[in-house]
Amino acid sequence: MDVSNILASHAAKYQSITVEKETPLEVDPGFLTVTDLNPIDEESYNENLEEHLQSLARDGIQALYASLFTLPTRTSPDGPLAQLPPPKTQLPRAKPLPKPKPQTKWEAFAAAKGIQHKVRDRKEWDEERQEWVNRWGRNGKNKQLEEQWITEVPLNADVDHDPRKAARDARKERVAKNEKKHAQNVARAAAANPRDARKQDIEKTLATTRISTASMGKFDKKLDGEKKIRGVKRKFDPTEKSVADEAKASVALLSRLESDSKKTRREPQAEESVLNTRKAVRFASKGRGGLALGREAAGGRSSRGGRGRGRGGKR
Amino acid sequence: MDARLPKEVEDARTAIFVKGTHTGEVLNVVMRDLMALKRPNAISFSKKNPIHPFDSNTTSISSLEFWAGKNDASLFLVGQTTKKRPNGLTFVRMYDGQVLDMMEVGVDNFAGMDSFKTPKSTPGHKPLMHFASELFDTHPRYIQLKSMLMDFFNGEVVDSICLPGLEHVISVTCAPTPASLNNAPVNMYPNQHPSAPEDVSSLPKIHIRTYTTRLLSSGTRIPRVELTPMGPNLDLSLRRHKAADPELLKQAMKRPKVKKVDIESGLGKKKKNLEVDEMGDLRGRVHVGKQDLNKLQTRKMKGLKGGDLDAEDEESDEEQEDETPRKKRRKQA
Repeated sequence: MDVSNILASHAAKYQSITVEKETPLEVDPGFLTVTDLNPIDEESYNENLEEHLQSLARDGIQALYASLFTLPTRTSPDGPLAQLPPPKTQLPRAKPLPKPKPQTKWEAFAAAKGIQHKVRDRKEWDEERQEWVNRWGRNGKNKQLEEQWITEVPLNADVDHDPRKAARDARKERVAKNEKKHAQNVARAAAANPRDARKQDIEKTLATTRISTASMGKFDKKLDGEKKIRGVKRKFDPTEKSVADEAKASVALLSRLESDSKKTRREPQAEESVLNTRKAVRFASKGRGGLALGREAAGGRSSRGGRGRGRGGKR
Repeated sequence: MDARLPKEVEDARTAIFVKGTHTGEVLNVVMRDLMALKRPNAISFSKKNPIHPFDSNTTSISSLEFWAGKNDASLFLVGQTTKKRPNGLTFVRMYDGQVLDMMEVGVDNFAGMDSFKTPKSTPGHKPLMHFASELFDTHPRYIQLKSMLMDFFNGEVVDSICLPGLEHVISVTCAPTPASLNNAPVNMYPNQHPSAPEDVSSLPKIHIRTYTTRLLSSGTRIPRVELTPMGPNLDLSLRRHKAADPELLKQAMKRPKVKKVDIESGLGKKKKNLEVDEMGDLRGRVHVGKQDLNKLQTRKMKGLKGGDLDAEDEESDEEQEDETPRKKRRKQA
């Protein structure tokens, strides 16, 4: 049997998809680019420019397709997706690399304690309705307590106790607390940069001085480019006021002057650690304090060494 | 605003097409057609703007930087036609709101998209790119051109692509390299000698052609490709340019740190003797020096001891004794 014809046709088939060049083509599938580093043939260039360019391009693109169609693929509704390797050619970036974000207090704590980040699902399973419901937002599960038609009222509740309002207030408080924590995180991140911290400090001082006149800076000389302070208004107490109210206000002011709560809070802590020792002790001793914890530890050790009956024996 | 913050893997660059003080009929069509290729990452400034990027006496650079910031764009194509430099196109690339490098080309010949009655590509599809000439590897001007055009049309890094969605090809070919360019040593830093202007006339022309692809079955997995001219077709000649500031370029070339998972899958600097097995565990091979069997300590027997060997053994014993307490001491400390 003569198979030369079959072989020849087979070879012809393959010839059409293989590209032979003196210098092998540089294919960069990551950028879908092929570079042909062979010198341009002057003869065919001068003879028929368009044809020459098209045949050059066809050869290059054929080589590119050959490498693209051998890449591993993934199926998708639009057709096969070829997984591209990272590009070989290095192009300059348009913007600098993103700077790492400063850790929030929780992130620092979680890192110190080795707590893994868990993605919280947006939906929650509702046992009663037997379906997935929003955790928050429209018809959120967090509003269940304030939206249900009947609520249990504790026995010792006030006469005007409104369970719906209490639940709503508690929820609003949680949101406010989260927002406060967020603001603190932002402030901490800003304070980490000494330049920003200094800038903030100066701006704060300047704002204070600007509203420290009787007219709250209304008749002060304005500097070039000085911004108007917003949200500052003069407030006057009513001219007629009950004596009780006046006394109350004076006492409040005096107590504020006397107390040094703000001062003590301002002082920096001895060691800035992610773990709040005071809180940790309170948690470990179940609210009884460090002394109780120490006593317990000492008692436990002695009893273990002695009768071996543990805490029960001491009592 | 968050969308404009720097990203690790960047989106495609947005290009702004700016018309200079005067753009001829040709340039208008050229810019319209190039914009059709660049869409949807293209913004057109259709009014005339007094922009001369290479003239350092004007405020052009600061205008470009302002527009880049306003539009979150990092590429410009400025079209300007003058008597001295007819049909000039200037490609400007930005980094971090500053001009990184610039390149001016003149359009010598042009055939628009309309002159070919053939199917066109869909806007938004990624083109395939083809560069042909050895100059793209050797000559700094052509290296810059290649980098600029790749950034212009294909600069986005994607991890996967739909193969049937590849429709068109942008092919960039140089004219044959003249002998003068082959032999003469290439001045790698033409910017450092501004007193001696470059001879741009000796640089070979560039032919940009666009084609649509047709895939024919070849009986194998890889199809046979046929090209159909699509337009626009441009014949360009290189003119003025400004190379990137080395310091700025170094910053722009910084890559993000390669993640551990990627290194395990073989990215980045090749780590020797590391491989990931089928279970996904990283396994390493450690090289242990060749064992000298002559020093192997075999079972000691009195009968085997010779005179000389005896002396050596004692010495080694002493050494061992010396060593062990030292180790202990270290542990204690």
